[in-house]
Amino acid sequence: MAMIEAKNLTKRYRDRIAIENLTFSVNEGEILGFLGPNGAGKTTTMRILSGFVPPSEGSAKIAGFDVFEHPLEVKRRLGYLPETPPLYPEMTARGYLRFVGRLKGVPSRQLGSEIERVSNLTGIQEVIDRVIKNLSKGFRQRVGVAQALLNNPPVLILDEPTEGLDPAQRAEVRSLIKKLAGKHTVILSTHILHEVTMTCEKVLIINQGRIVAFDEIKKLAHAYGQTEQVSLEEIFIKLTAA
Amino acid sequence: MRNALAIARKELSIYFTTPWAYLVFTGMLVVSSFFFVASLEGFKQVQQMARAMSWARLPQDWAMYKNLTDGVIVPLWGVVTIVTLFLAPFLSMRLFAEEKRHQTFELLMTVPVRPLEIVLGKYLGGLGVVSATLGLTIVFPAVLAIFGRSESGSALEWSTVLLGYLGLLLWGATCIAIGMFISALTESQALAACLTFVVLLPWMLLNGLTQSAEEPLRSVVNYLSFQTQLQNMTKGVLDLKAIVFFASVIFLSVLLTQRAVEAHRWA
Repeated sequence: MAMIEAKNLTKRYRDRIAIENLTFSVNEGEILGFLGPNGAGKTTTMRILSGFVPPSEGSAKIAGFDVFEHPLEVKRRLGYLPETPPLYPEMTARGYLRFVGRLKGVPSRQLGSEIERVSNLTGIQEVIDRVIKNLSKGFRQRVGVAQALLNNPPVLILDEPTEGLDPAQRAEVRSLIKKLAGKHTVILSTHILHEVTMTCEKVLIINQGRIVAFDEIKKLAHAYGQTEQVSLEEIFIKLTAA
Repeated sequence: MRNALAIARKELSIYFTTPWAYLVFTGMLVVSSFFFVASLEGFKQVQQMARAMSWARLPQDWAMYKNLTDGVIVPLWGVVTIVTLFLAPFLSMRLFAEEKRHQTFELLMTVPVRPLEIVLGKYLGGLGVVSATLGLTIVFPAVLAIFGRSESGSALEWSTVLLGYLGLLLWGATCIAIGMFISALTESQALAACLTFVVLLPWMLLNGLTQSAEEPLRSVVNYLSFQTQLQNMTKGVLDLKAIVFFASVIFLSVLLTQRAVEAHRWA
């Protein structure tokens, strides 16, 4: 069953076209890597899928609900990490997660254990009582990821979840995302291609607002190189040049 | 409602962890204590003169100095409304503008919360902090009640004082509602504060325009002026018309804010 479905998504800002005619779907339990050069329209696409921004044309469905027509149903099933982690600098990480947890409808009694769970998953236990303003970029990013995981939503939309992390932390987040496969449907954008090969089976590459590739990594490797060894990087450069 | 309360709670915790609320509290206390001391001094002088010469020989409009309620508290409430007009924009400016600037607005719009709940939560938070600001001024009537003397019973007429105070709260609630709507229109807190002020001050002083106007325009403009509406309330008269007027302004502002937030889904 397709948990994320985009049909002919188009977004125009006055005369500039951000994305054009994107059609793709992600099945339950799959992890989709979402790639593209800067400015290709990744963030716009994810904003549309999360319901923050409406499409100019086309439609998006999350777990069978139209994003625009049933926003609440969609939001109940969605964990979203925007491009800039949406943090309140004056709050402590725990206070922040408490706040988001309440808004996401985590019952008061389970709030403590739910915060415990997501902070363990993202490795922020040691900073949980510190004020977000004073956290390093890596920790802030992880508080953002923790927020998305609250209330265990079936669908996760993560816009550059490993941004600002050091290689060790990146590996941790990668393994965390890998663990999510099967139970959660994930779409994650990144510009670190190596990461996609390690966490995702399928990739969607867009360039200048259009899809240039949407397939399993293995198949792409077959199509664009003679050997299995051809790297995603080479494919990416080939597809997005022009 | 649970969501609105969660948001209100967050707003209050941020108000009280940033210096803004404390600056506003200080501003309110400094200006109103200054005025309180000055008008108390004036009150004392008039009383001494009256004792020396009897009330009958003093000017007619000095009659308000016969008691502490009309001589000190009612003018004080008038000053507090003006101070509130200047300070409330600093409280309301961050409500939505800050969320947009920090891009936390994206979070609010992607969690399962209705726009109306966001707006109500924000408004409740703003109400909380403006009530706290106005709450500080209750210290002045309290001081008078403790140390004041009157020849006939208690030093203050509490029903007048508290009705005036109710008027103040209603006025604070109105300022915050208008400020919240303006804050929902921009990303810049400074702009939100300036615009709120630019809306509130002329609206307050609308009645000044009517001196030379003709009927029925005169009555209409007069009716719309904040100052006209506040006049009776601060004097301690229960003015149902004023309550309805301010409640409508608040309702309309909250509704407009809800539309402004909702409009984001369409932009």
